Amino acid sequence: MSRLDPIALQVMLGALRAACDEMGVVLVRSAHSANVKERRDASTALFDAGGQMAMQAEHIPVHLGAMPSAVASVLAEDHRPGDAWILNDPFAGGTHLPDITVISPVFERGARGALLGFAASRAHHADVGALEPGSMPADSTTLSDEGVVIAPTRLVAAGELDRELLESVTSRMRAPRQREADLRAQLAANRTGGERLLALAERIGVERLRAGIAETLDYAERRTRARIAELDDGERCAEDVLEAPEGDLHLTLRAAVRGEEVELDFTASAAQHAGNLNCPLSVTLSACWFALRVLTDPDVPPCAGAYRPVAVVAPEGSLLNARRPAAVAAGNVETSSRVADLVLGAFGHALGQGTMNNLTLGNERFTYYETLGGGQGACADADGPSAVHVAMSNTLNTPLEALELEFPLRAIEYSVRRGSGGRGAHSGGEGVVREIEALEEMRYSLITERRRHPPPGAAGGEPGAPGRNLLNGEELAPKASGTLRPGDRLRLETPGGGGHGES
Amino acid sequence: MVLGVDVGGTFTDAVLLTSGAVHTGKAPSTPGDQSEGVMAAVDEALRAANAAPADVERFVHGMTVATNALLEGRTACTALVATEGFTDLEELGRQARPELYRLCAAHPEPIVPAQRRVAAAERSGSDGVSKPLDTEALERQLGSLPEGVEAVAVCLLWGFRHPGHERSAAEAVARVLPDAHVSTSHETAGVFREYERLATTVIDAALSPLLRRYLGRLAERTREAGLRDAEVMLSSGGVVSAATAAAHGAWTVLSGPAGGAVAAARAAATAGAQDGVGLDMGGTSCDVSLITGGRVAVTSGREVGGRPLALPMVDVHTVGAGGGSIAWRDAGGALRAGPRSAGADPGPACYGRGGTEPTVTDASLVLGLLDADAPLAGGVALDRAAATDAVGRLAAELGLEAEQTAAGILRVATAEMAQAVRVVTVERGIDPRNLALVAFGGAGPLHATAIAEELGMARVVAPVVSGVLSALGLAVSERRRDLVESVLLAGAALDAGSIAAAVERLAERGRDELGAPDAEVRATYDLRYEGQAFELGVGGDPRPEPSELRSAFDEAHADRYGYHDPGAVLELVSVRVAVALPGAEPAPASAEPAQRRGERRVRFGADWCDAAVLAPGEGDLEGPAIVQLPGSTLAVPPGWSGRADAQAVVLER
Repeated sequence: MSRLDPIALQVMLGALRAACDEMGVVLVRSAHSANVKERRDASTALFDAGGQMAMQAEHIPVHLGAMPSAVASVLAEDHRPGDAWILNDPFAGGTHLPDITVISPVFERGARGALLGFAASRAHHADVGALEPGSMPADSTTLSDEGVVIAPTRLVAAGELDRELLESVTSRMRAPRQREADLRAQLAANRTGGERLLALAERIGVERLRAGIAETLDYAERRTRARIAELDDGERCAEDVLEAPEGDLHLTLRAAVRGEEVELDFTASAAQHAGNLNCPLSVTLSACWFALRVLTDPDVPPCAGAYRPVAVVAPEGSLLNARRPAAVAAGNVETSSRVADLVLGAFGHALGQGTMNNLTLGNERFTYYETLGGGQGACADADGPSAVHVAMSNTLNTPLEALELEFPLRAIEYSVRRGSGGRGAHSGGEGVVREIEALEEMRYSLITERRRHPPPGAAGGEPGAPGRNLLNGEELAPKASGTLRPGDRLRLETPGGGGHGES
Repeated sequence: MVLGVDVGGTFTDAVLLTSGAVHTGKAPSTPGDQSEGVMAAVDEALRAANAAPADVERFVHGMTVATNALLEGRTACTALVATEGFTDLEELGRQARPELYRLCAAHPEPIVPAQRRVAAAERSGSDGVSKPLDTEALERQLGSLPEGVEAVAVCLLWGFRHPGHERSAAEAVARVLPDAHVSTSHETAGVFREYERLATTVIDAALSPLLRRYLGRLAERTREAGLRDAEVMLSSGGVVSAATAAAHGAWTVLSGPAGGAVAAARAAATAGAQDGVGLDMGGTSCDVSLITGGRVAVTSGREVGGRPLALPMVDVHTVGAGGGSIAWRDAGGALRAGPRSAGADPGPACYGRGGTEPTVTDASLVLGLLDADAPLAGGVALDRAAATDAVGRLAAELGLEAEQTAAGILRVATAEMAQAVRVVTVERGIDPRNLALVAFGGAGPLHATAIAEELGMARVVAPVVSGVLSALGLAVSERRRDLVESVLLAGAALDAGSIAAAVERLAERGRDELGAPDAEVRATYDLRYEGQAFELGVGGDPRPEPSELRSAFDEAHADRYGYHDPGAVLELVSVRVAVALPGAEPAPASAEPAQRRGERRVRFGADWCDAAVLAPGEGDLEGPAIVQLPGSTLAVPPGWSGRADAQAVVLER
């Protein structure tokens, strides 16, 4: 295989990135749900024929490690031009049930065209048919409590959409028309990605495309290795907790830097539990890769090569590598944040809010899912920003006017939670306050963390304030669900970030 | 005769259009008070045309006063009146962090700090007022603001739909702080979604006092000189009186790039291309705009310096790729160009002012694309040996030959600019292959054909006056007001009467402000399927039937996204109206026949060849050739041919 020169390499990187970005644009723009359109809770990526991720559009870090697992789950299938696969099973390529992935093989033109690679897109769907509207239940104990499980299945066969399958999936979910529209948007995104990959192959030749992707992966690996080499060799440890309904779950990390490689070992962490804080391994990988990018090269192209120098160890059956039929709704959104915290904490960082503050509201007429920003941990040379998503998520908020227009809700307060950031030579960012009033009867579900334990500071900096969930002024547990009646007010105060250095 | 004056980063350009001729003037920009440089450039253009200030019938001005103030944080001391419980919206933003993997990268500081935020006891919902405004309490709070408030932004929840409380609050401000400028959200940016509307209103308030002072100084100077008052280019590409511009500082944030984009659209139309891409490449950056139907495309909002502006603005996308972009080898061994730039000082290595790193300009010189014996605009002589040394050092690092490296630098920079073109075309659902590339600015024509090839575009237009095209755009611009109102009409409420009424409300306001009862009215409708959160703008009749909007939207949606949804409910989110009077037509001029000045060795892609060196003029031409335009160089590789006239060189392949 011919190596690409430094010029062709840079041009190839640009072309792959442009293709993934364009897929993302098509997906976000053509979806119907606020979740994808307003909050951009979606990701797109291109893979080579061997299932190696060639490039991903930079949307949401939590999808980083999870897209490759999805493609791996269909890699061995019999692919034909015009096929597309659908899945959300966390134990077969998925993360948690609301994240539905669509994967389309891409072929050369012509009857005997070879497989060029795959285009994949993932979107967080606003509902996947759990008992609780929004399908982010606070109290699920097995996977089937969390909605419809879709094993990897052919959704489109040689260009022919399997309407029966589509209906059998969406009819078991709320707002089936919106589900279908979002899935069609994912198919449209994949079509775009496929066309771009094909155009690239036709322009430079299939062999050169293969060599180019291989070189792209090697290039990303070289960049990551160069930065890992700058970290001090040796072992570091970190411990932290998750706030399960039955009590705290303990997580432990032993991180070892050896030359240009890093090993992240979570062996001493809690076993999988009867709640929904469990993660499939793909989610744990996403969190580790996210933290590693923060620690090494934030601009490395997001592709399989960037993660080759990182080994992650999490024993099967543990909280961070759970087995079927564990419930996993909160693993993707909350446990992933804690895994990232462990890695960042081991390397001396003050920590951010460490939760996405998941709030789901709904009844048979509507579902509304929101995650809230909070304080970022301070850096050694800067204050932590306030009111932002700090780690595995980076979704936008729902504008209050859009919220009041579309849902039977009224906003009471949305403000900065002053004084919640931990003090230090550099202070942690402030959390936010968001309070809303129900205008009709509805269910609520809260999955939050850092309510009992505050985000720690570093190097003598103080911790941030822990978060609070209040229903009509009464404090709720970190995981809570129930019914709101007209006039009830739900108030979330999100955690502040930890400070860095003594003030 | 009409006069256009454009203030750029380095130079201020004036273009005076007389019957049959284009006269230009150039003066160094004067950042302290831009009006000084403006008058110097105007004097020069008038002298060149042998004309008197009183001969100027129209004077249109593009400037960077508002842009610079916003980017540099030199804004007026501003307070905010917002609905109680929601005074922190500017600081909260949309909660996304600006960079995914740099955790402490911060958004720009809010313009209004916490101690200047006033909570108005009031509330409206989508269907009207739910809690009346406590005006007395508001006046008390305004009275206890810290000293020195120069401007106040008023933005209340649902104020775009129920503006009564915003009007009352503005009156309260006028009573308590009679000297302060007031911007209300419903008048500044009457659109749905509170954060973007509020941030825009705050920017408007914070910039207006500065703009009023600047335009006041300019008016003093023009009156002294016997020149008529300036009209001002808005970010939307429309032009309004100085008084209207002074009342809304946020409307001129992209005044500068708008002039160039408007000019590019004109140049495309003159060359017979209705659809195209404008590419304005200078020393440090490259502005790309989209031209559709002979007009520059306008977006309904974008970010400037990390702050959102929910206003109609020319859809200009800027990337940090210019002649001064520095080439380097990254940690993974790839060749990169920019975003770091050598700027004007020290400038590229070939300027001989102490620059040692290789730039795009150095690479162009090594490959013979630029003439080592002809000075650039501003009289800079080029040092080919210095360029070769700088490129050679990078080549050694990469393990490549020097010429191969120079060609690589151009390829990588070309890919960067092609990506910018993709953003305004492909990412908006438009196929660039059918578009003409209108290249201008000091470096645009040099790279135009390479960018066109990268994108599969077959046509390049290089205006002869590339160097001062923005100022020419100002001189010929139409007078226009752009207005918008969010109406949120769906289902049975979306009827012909309601739509026409909304259009007429805006049209009347626009005609009043222009003082032109006969002005043309163009309507655009921001539509979506109910539940979607993005709108698509669809042009239409000012009195459309809902069924016409429906079919136009279904078609636009299918074009852009590959499907439409006949079962979905259609929602009209906003109505946009442009009220316009046509500008001057540049008179057709005749040109001398093109002259061949000689020949030189030039490397296009992988091969060296002998290229004809031509002076601009009328006639056919064929690549390989180099056309020396005033202030820029047009590269014509083998495979491209075309025709030159007095206005432009048009190339095809």
